[in-house]
Amino acid sequence: MTSSHEALAHPASSAEAAPGNQPGAARGAHGRGTPPKGTASWRSRLYRWDMKASPYVLIAPFFVVFGAFSLVPLLYTAWYSLHHVQLSALDHQTWAGLGNYTNLLSSEFFWNALQNTFSIGVISTVPQLLAALWLAHLLNYRLRGSTAWRVVMLTPYATSVAAATLVFTLLYSWDGGMINWLLHFVGVDPVNWRESDWGSQFAVSSIVIWRWTGYNALIYLAAMQAIPSDLYESAALDGAGRRQQFRHVTVPMLRPTILFTVIVSTIGATQLFGEPLLFGGVSGSKGGSEHQYQTLGLYMYDQGWIIGNLGKASAIAWSMFLILVIVAVVNMLLSRRLRKSP
Amino acid sequence: MSAGDLTFPQAPGEAGAKTKATKAQTGGEPGTRAKARPRGGRRLGRPRMTGAGRQLDAGPVTYAVLTVFALVSLAPLVWTAVAASRTDRRLAETPPPLWFGGNLFKNLQAAWDQAGLGTAMFNSTLVATTITVSTVLFSTLAGFAFAKLRFRFSGALLLLTIGTMMIPPQLAVVPLYLWMSDLGWSNRLQTVVLPTLVTAFGTFFMRQYLVQALPTELIEAARVDGASSPRILWHVVFPAARPAMAVLGLLTFVFAWNDFLWPIIALNQQNPTVQVALNSLGTGYVPDQAVIMAGALLSTLPLLIAFLLFGKQIVGGIMQGAIKG
Amino acid sequence: MRTSTRRSHGPVAFAAVAALTTGLLAGCANDSDDGSPDATGGGGGKGRITLTVGTFGVFGYQQAGLYDEYMKLHPDIAIKENVTTRTDVYWPKVLTRLQAGSGTDDIQAIEVGNITEAVQTQAAKFVDLGKEADKSQWLDWKLAQATTKDGKTIGLGTDIGPMAVCYRKDLFRKAGLETDRTKLAEQWKGDWAKYVDLGKQYMKKAPKGTKFMDSAASVYNAAVGGASERYYDKDGNVVWDKSEGVKKAWDVAMTAATSDMSAKLKQFDPTWDQGFANGTFATIACPAWMIGYIEQKSGDSGKGKWDVAAAPTAANWGGSFLGVPTASRHQKEAIALAKWLTAPEQQAKVFAKQASFPSTPSAYPSLKPQADTTAYFSDAPLTQIFSDSAKTIPAQYLGPKDKPIDSAIADVGILQVEQKGKTPAQGWEAAAKEIKDVLGQ
Repeated sequence: MTSSHEALAHPASSAEAAPGNQPGAARGAHGRGTPPKGTASWRSRLYRWDMKASPYVLIAPFFVVFGAFSLVPLLYTAWYSLHHVQLSALDHQTWAGLGNYTNLLSSEFFWNALQNTFSIGVISTVPQLLAALWLAHLLNYRLRGSTAWRVVMLTPYATSVAAATLVFTLLYSWDGGMINWLLHFVGVDPVNWRESDWGSQFAVSSIVIWRWTGYNALIYLAAMQAIPSDLYESAALDGAGRRQQFRHVTVPMLRPTILFTVIVSTIGATQLFGEPLLFGGVSGSKGGSEHQYQTLGLYMYDQGWIIGNLGKASAIAWSMFLILVIVAVVNMLLSRRLRKSP
Repeated sequence: MSAGDLTFPQAPGEAGAKTKATKAQTGGEPGTRAKARPRGGRRLGRPRMTGAGRQLDAGPVTYAVLTVFALVSLAPLVWTAVAASRTDRRLAETPPPLWFGGNLFKNLQAAWDQAGLGTAMFNSTLVATTITVSTVLFSTLAGFAFAKLRFRFSGALLLLTIGTMMIPPQLAVVPLYLWMSDLGWSNRLQTVVLPTLVTAFGTFFMRQYLVQALPTELIEAARVDGASSPRILWHVVFPAARPAMAVLGLLTFVFAWNDFLWPIIALNQQNPTVQVALNSLGTGYVPDQAVIMAGALLSTLPLLIAFLLFGKQIVGGIMQGAIKG
Repeated sequence: MRTSTRRSHGPVAFAAVAALTTGLLAGCANDSDDGSPDATGGGGGKGRITLTVGTFGVFGYQQAGLYDEYMKLHPDIAIKENVTTRTDVYWPKVLTRLQAGSGTDDIQAIEVGNITEAVQTQAAKFVDLGKEADKSQWLDWKLAQATTKDGKTIGLGTDIGPMAVCYRKDLFRKAGLETDRTKLAEQWKGDWAKYVDLGKQYMKKAPKGTKFMDSAASVYNAAVGGASERYYDKDGNVVWDKSEGVKKAWDVAMTAATSDMSAKLKQFDPTWDQGFANGTFATIACPAWMIGYIEQKSGDSGKGKWDVAAAPTAANWGGSFLGVPTASRHQKEAIALAKWLTAPEQQAKVFAKQASFPSTPSAYPSLKPQADTTAYFSDAPLTQIFSDSAKTIPAQYLGPKDKPIDSAIADVGILQVEQKGKTPAQGWEAAAKEIKDVLGQ
């Protein structure tokens, strides 16, 4: 055990240093690479220019398109969020200052949505990522027809959301749904999945888990394939079994990717609206009669698209951003403190 | 092949970067790996297995678990096909049909004709392919820069990229449409293509992958050899990024194919993508659910084909084993 | 060797990108904006004008063969329909496009739930059709809904939803109730509360597994649909909590919700469809357009068992308008088409196809439902029942947020009482809170 730890210490720690604590300022020192010896001075100048300019050249296409088509419209919504503006009268904007935001702070629906977002986020994201990791691990074995297996795992992501929701709505229907029918055999009374508080959140989460597990598994699988096999070899030589290898080689090496999926899934959970919207059927944007599964994303959709309060809806959108920033900052402070006091 | 991998790190400066990289790339060839795979005593043969990460054999338990996952994953799609093979009337009855009826081809035909799926499939293929190629390419470039290069404001720019993912995009379609309209592009395909040519998701994804998967030493070695940036990209970064590029391509293709909110706002049925065209189904006061399901099924089939094309590309492991060893 | 094969992938990939990009740009260059001559490929010969009709899908013009007929009458016109089936996407899309000033269709459908918002905020973006069409053709209240204060009519009425009660004769018989449609109508005439009272009687001897109605929201909807003042008064003030009509309809719905006579379904859910198929409820407040839905979903098992009786009070549920945006490049042709599609003769044809009820009374004498449908509903005089209802529907004052307010009451207030066991007072309070949120207060 101990020896295997030691053997693995090196890659694990180097993996640890890589992700997020200083995003972007990665360790690569090649930017200062020595120019090749014995070349003509124009070549070395060209080389130095290449060194300096290439990062900007590489990110330029991304930022040009991204800035124009993603950033600018988003900034527009920030502008909307500071105004009273209806979807039906975009030119008729009156300055609201932070009015839309203070309105939210005093809105019971907003806090309720925030709470639902959190609880649905947890019960959908945690099992989903764990299952994805496990699934990726299984897919990483040498399999007969490996491509077919991968393809199959991604079908939920490709299946039309409307078709999938129809299936789940039937499964979870109160009267005559298959799940209540099964529960009946265990002696459980039929659950009104859509209207019960925890039941609806569970049902929505199950759709999310079903839809996104294979997706995340594939992301993990790609990262697993880049893990050098000699790490496993040395672990094996040190007597680590499959399970220990998974814990001490695979997981540490996947850290940047795990961080990625956690961030992306958190963001996805915050913005979640498609699944609960369709699960709710007609006027699904309410998220149940007591808003029991109305997420922030759904509340925003309801305000902006159904009711047409574009200003308030934009404020919800940007408050999601602020919430995630707060979460990120708190997370950073906590992890910094944890690292200081080992 | 393994010889090449092993000698590589020991002679960093001796051979040209190109030679090294090509050798390294050959390691990524699925065919080669298959040939080099030790036939007998696979578990014992692990030390000789370099390249594509760990390739342990799957046991029966693994197959059993995967089968369960597969059934759960496939069930709704299969049920879509079952529903598409029935009549609208039958779908309303309980218990819902669990096996195929006789109307599949009739409904598929009806869905195809009513929605004009021919044009739509062509447009969607064009749109999704363009978006996929561009997203994968530009995300890899930017992701590499963020992962491995030093430049001013790199931290801030990466945070900006991640930060914008946190703002839900559904409302931004309103100003975006106003802008596209000013450009005179209502109902044209470029309104759907241009905004998604790159994604923050893609760049962040490639960055996180390359941080781990691309050994910095490898780039340094290439630099020492005087390799220019394009050359490093071509011979070092792209080969190392290949599995992630394939996965990103797959995810992006599906996303672009299934994206509906913005395309429905931006296009109409005279020049539709598949998701826009499907709106032609289920009209009238009594929408025919069976035909709607047939449309959903038809719209998913091309994705399964795309999966098979991309899925094979998700083989990884190039030379990292040798480098770090 | 292998090196060369691998390297060849690169140029191929780039060539593919280049080809795609070029193809894309070329493709884009080819298709000009909708609406212009020869725009959309399917058009045909030179000089032929393509008109687009933007709808949310329920109109049935295609199915009734109206487009084909018009194109035959006018060989220089081609008609294409642009459908966005989800109304919660359709209307924001239309609003955005109207305000952007481009991309609208030549004819744009407007649902009754959105008509007041359109009249109040988008009137400048629509052609005044009142000058073009003979306004006297339409029911007064229908015309008024699409007319601004200064008399501009932005949309011509298509269908309306006059209300009746559809009921299962066989279940009524088993429950020992009257089954004759005239006598039933007599029993509940004048007040939906009487209909609910009959429900109490039904539940005493209800056949196993059946309830009296599909949902409490359904009876609310029917009752409030007959009140002339609901959420707004005639000056446009929000008065929903003081409105007599709302209060009465709410009380009826509360009685229904608290006395176990509702199957507690949500309309237009898959389970609602199953409710029809399995015959789990005996009555439903049915506007004309729901006739076809009931027939389809109940299937053969319901044939000859369903019947239709006049509703307690005349009420309207649903219906739409066709407007011509000023951004249309072919206003003249679009106006002509909108007039033609909404003319009594054409409305009668759509009724024959899918029982969308005309908003033009002169069509009523000539209405003929399909023979199958009449037989399905026990030979009930559908035309007469719905015409009588249509003629007595009172004018309603609608407001810009009518739809979300209605949803707040039905999908929050009533649903809480019906499905979550809240008291009527709690339900009312929840609806009130919801409406405050809707109005941004």
